[in-house]
Amino acid sequence: MNGHDTLFAQLSTLGASVTLLFGVVLLWRRSLGAYIEAFRWQSLVLSAVFALVGYYGHDHELYIVAVALLALKVFIIPWYLKRLYQRVGGEREAQPYVNIATSLIVAGLLVMLAYAITRPLVMVSKLPTRGGIPLAVGLIFVGLFVIVSRRKALTQIVGFLVLENGIALLAALCTYGIHLIIELGVFLDVLMGFLVMQVIVYHIRNTFESIDVEQLNQLKH
Amino acid sequence: MTGYLLEIGQALLALLLAPGLVGFIRWLKARLQGRRGAKPWQPYYDLRKLLGKEVVMSKNASWLFRFAPYVIFATAVAVTLLVPLVAAPLPFDAVGDLLVVVYLLLLGTFFLALAGLDPGTSFGGMGASREVTVAAIAEPTIALAIFGLAVGAGSTNLGRIVAQTLSNPGAVINPGHLLGFTALFIVMIAETGRLPVDNPSTHLELTMIHEAMILEYSGRYLALIEWAAALKLLIFFSLLSNLFLPWGVATTLTPGALGVSVVALVVKLAALAVIVALLETRIAKLRLFRVPELLGVSFVLALLSVTSSFLLR
Amino acid sequence: MTFLFLLFPSLIAAALAAAIRRYRSLVGWVNALLSLIALGAAVKFADHAARGGGASVFGPGELLRADGLSALMMVCVAAVASLALFLSPGFGRESQYSPSQLRRYQFFINLFIFSMLLTVSANNVGVMWIAIEATTIFSAMLIPLTLTKPSVEASWKYILICSVGIALAFAGTVLGYFDFVSLSGRAENALNWPVLLASAPSLHPEVMKLAFVFLLVGYGTKAGIAPMHTWLPDAHSEAPTPLSAMMSGVLLAVALYAVLRWKVVVDATLGDGYTNKLLIALGLLSLVVASFSIVLSRNYKRMLAYSSIEHTGLMCIGLALGPLGVFAAMLHLVNHTAAKSMTFLLAGRVLHRYHTTQIKGVSGLLKTMPGTAGMLAAGLLATIGLPPFGLFISEFALIRAGFATGHPWLMGAVLILLAVAFVAIIGHLNRMLYGTPPEGVAVGEKGGRSLALLSLNVAVLVTLGLALPAPVETLLNQIVRIVSR
Repeated sequence: MNGHDTLFAQLSTLGASVTLLFGVVLLWRRSLGAYIEAFRWQSLVLSAVFALVGYYGHDHELYIVAVALLALKVFIIPWYLKRLYQRVGGEREAQPYVNIATSLIVAGLLVMLAYAITRPLVMVSKLPTRGGIPLAVGLIFVGLFVIVSRRKALTQIVGFLVLENGIALLAALCTYGIHLIIELGVFLDVLMGFLVMQVIVYHIRNTFESIDVEQLNQLKH
Repeated sequence: MTGYLLEIGQALLALLLAPGLVGFIRWLKARLQGRRGAKPWQPYYDLRKLLGKEVVMSKNASWLFRFAPYVIFATAVAVTLLVPLVAAPLPFDAVGDLLVVVYLLLLGTFFLALAGLDPGTSFGGMGASREVTVAAIAEPTIALAIFGLAVGAGSTNLGRIVAQTLSNPGAVINPGHLLGFTALFIVMIAETGRLPVDNPSTHLELTMIHEAMILEYSGRYLALIEWAAALKLLIFFSLLSNLFLPWGVATTLTPGALGVSVVALVVKLAALAVIVALLETRIAKLRLFRVPELLGVSFVLALLSVTSSFLLR
Repeated sequence: MTFLFLLFPSLIAAALAAAIRRYRSLVGWVNALLSLIALGAAVKFADHAARGGGASVFGPGELLRADGLSALMMVCVAAVASLALFLSPGFGRESQYSPSQLRRYQFFINLFIFSMLLTVSANNVGVMWIAIEATTIFSAMLIPLTLTKPSVEASWKYILICSVGIALAFAGTVLGYFDFVSLSGRAENALNWPVLLASAPSLHPEVMKLAFVFLLVGYGTKAGIAPMHTWLPDAHSEAPTPLSAMMSGVLLAVALYAVLRWKVVVDATLGDGYTNKLLIALGLLSLVVASFSIVLSRNYKRMLAYSSIEHTGLMCIGLALGPLGVFAAMLHLVNHTAAKSMTFLLAGRVLHRYHTTQIKGVSGLLKTMPGTAGMLAAGLLATIGLPPFGLFISEFALIRAGFATGHPWLMGAVLILLAVAFVAIIGHLNRMLYGTPPEGVAVGEKGGRSLALLSLNVAVLVTLGLALPAPVETLLNQIVRIVSR
């Protein structure tokens, strides 16, 4: 591996770590506004990683993907999230199902689990970016954990978006992204999924007077 | 022979610089808050004053109360002998291991907590329990954060870690490196009793952690403890700067290299002091039950640093 | 070319629903007629495949492809879609939807049908993924149509759990693609299924194992496999009835189709031991969860939803039992589609008359709605696997396959669980059919047209149960050949 490649490897792993750290912020902070900001910064770093991979991987399609990611996840979705937060929020994650200190330790363990699971991938891959693959899978697990352990519907949406970021990061690091059309289709799907979730959160607020998912327990046998 | 002289010189340098460091941070904070503030060398005058004053002790205090300040001071000085402040290969290097450093620091904290409990005052007990809560999460994090570097260097010897980073400058932007730095920074704030964990200049006992334990101390005991606290701050600053950004540390024992290294150390300490002063002025003190959450974050960062160093060898 | 006739009618129908603001019922009938075009195209594909024709491809980079498996799925989807669309105007009238609700309903249901058809005709696994995610989105817009508390709760669980599942399936897709790329570098059509299949024997086993776990968990969430099934009873019981019929009838099957496509690829790399073990484990778990939940059910729509989980579990087990099992599972898929869509639509009629979904609120069906009661009985008896309906034959074939491949204990467990569900459903059915009707429920019924349409389902079930027609059999054999190389 020549010096050029090592710099690429280090920068990409650095980018992946920072992305993961922004995801861990979701487990640390309590305010919903902090979650939206963390997601924004995470998406910004993620689009930088895509641009980086595009530059070193000599694949110009990835620049388009980076710009699309920037537009969608740094501007459009956070704008909608902020609006949703203003109309529906004002609540904080005061009592998550798993308390914060424990959540952080679980996050550390999940990342170690991701390292264990992705060993075959890292050994098989010949790409310089393979060091960041466990971090991407770790981010996926952290996103899942956020969805499962938090009570506010808005937090669950941001957890889902962070999960999607983790998967996009995995695609970037594993395979230098997938074909442009499919990547764009994925973004479109994410946007639409997000919009639908947003609509349903408004419905929840209107019918249940709160976005605490603990209230969603009417449907039993 | 020169090596041992160097070691003693290093310890003396640390003893000399430490109160100045504390005074410098205090002066910077005052300036940032729009006050004139005391001169940066005020702590030296304070120490001289305290050393001359009479010791007043509670009737309920035992031998531990008189013994503890010496232990605390001694452990702090011992750590300065082991940490690579100005030069990397040192004669005490064989003992200069990461775990020894952590244990010595913890020994000091332990005796401080006991001394807080000894006179039987409620504030002392409160301070001791808070201090131990913070130390419980912070101490493993110190070990883990530096361990992340140790994995890369293949040894837990601090001198060798410094040498390793010097010989491989590109490793500085390794995620393991940066995560370890952040984790150690957060722990430094907690262990040395700085905002946002503990306010060093508070006079409200219910908000104290470190100060509450030493409320009963006076005279030369208080001088020793304050000096030890300043030394601890210096030690953490130099660990942060020399382990993660080791340029300037002398690898050969020539006067030229040593001179450069002393200057470099002073510059790095000043830089960190500026950062800490800015941080303290900007951030409010955390509520006590939020401190474990902050330390939990640093623990996770340290854990991530170890895992990524381990797997990117 | 035929692909255009398959996919465009639903797009045109959706456009019509969006553009035209009045004449809602007329639009509804036009939608239904358009769906017949799609059905015709699907039957043409099935016919072509049954005659042994090769897979037809279409589009840039061979975007769309129809082999035997796709053709069977297309027919199922298109048939249930037509049935639902023909009965939608009646349901809309009975539920008293407002014009804007009707408009939303028509718009999204046609897009939903389009995305399901795209899923089964996509050649590129990435496009398949996009289409399945689209089905989640469009159906999630429809579940809270009436904005009641239960429907909003159901739609939230649905969109969240299914989106997470689909996202994990995408991670699995990326891992599968990653293995391919690390082997042969990036290729233009690398995500096309035949290309993946061709290179499968040289892919790395460890990576494909991990990929399959993600894919099974991901697409399995959409298919209603336990333990990812928690959204299913809520969503299927709270959705508008024609949508429930489609979701239970074909959407689960479409998700299982995605799992099957990937199973073939992974099996080519690993041999089928690994995937079979996973499928049997999860299938059995689904059976257990479903059977006992049916016993505890107090809501007849949820009972039907749990029954869908049970049958999905059965199909999973069937797919893991070698060629005989695959034949049985595919036959079961067709039978289940016919039976479940019919029962859901009939349950909708019961709901309109009795205004309650509680089982104890429904009694004396035979007196109040004799036609519906009779067909509902037929549907439920078909679902639990009584002869002369088709499910009996497919379940029998499955059990036989199980014994043939050396899983006697597993088949024993399956039989016991099927019996538990059998007894439970018959008990609930009896409670609903007999007894005196409650106060305020009108007696007698007139909806001859809907019942006539639904009797088509009964006819299909009986035909498949008594004598498997030759074209169907050849098509199923074709599928077995595709799946087990």
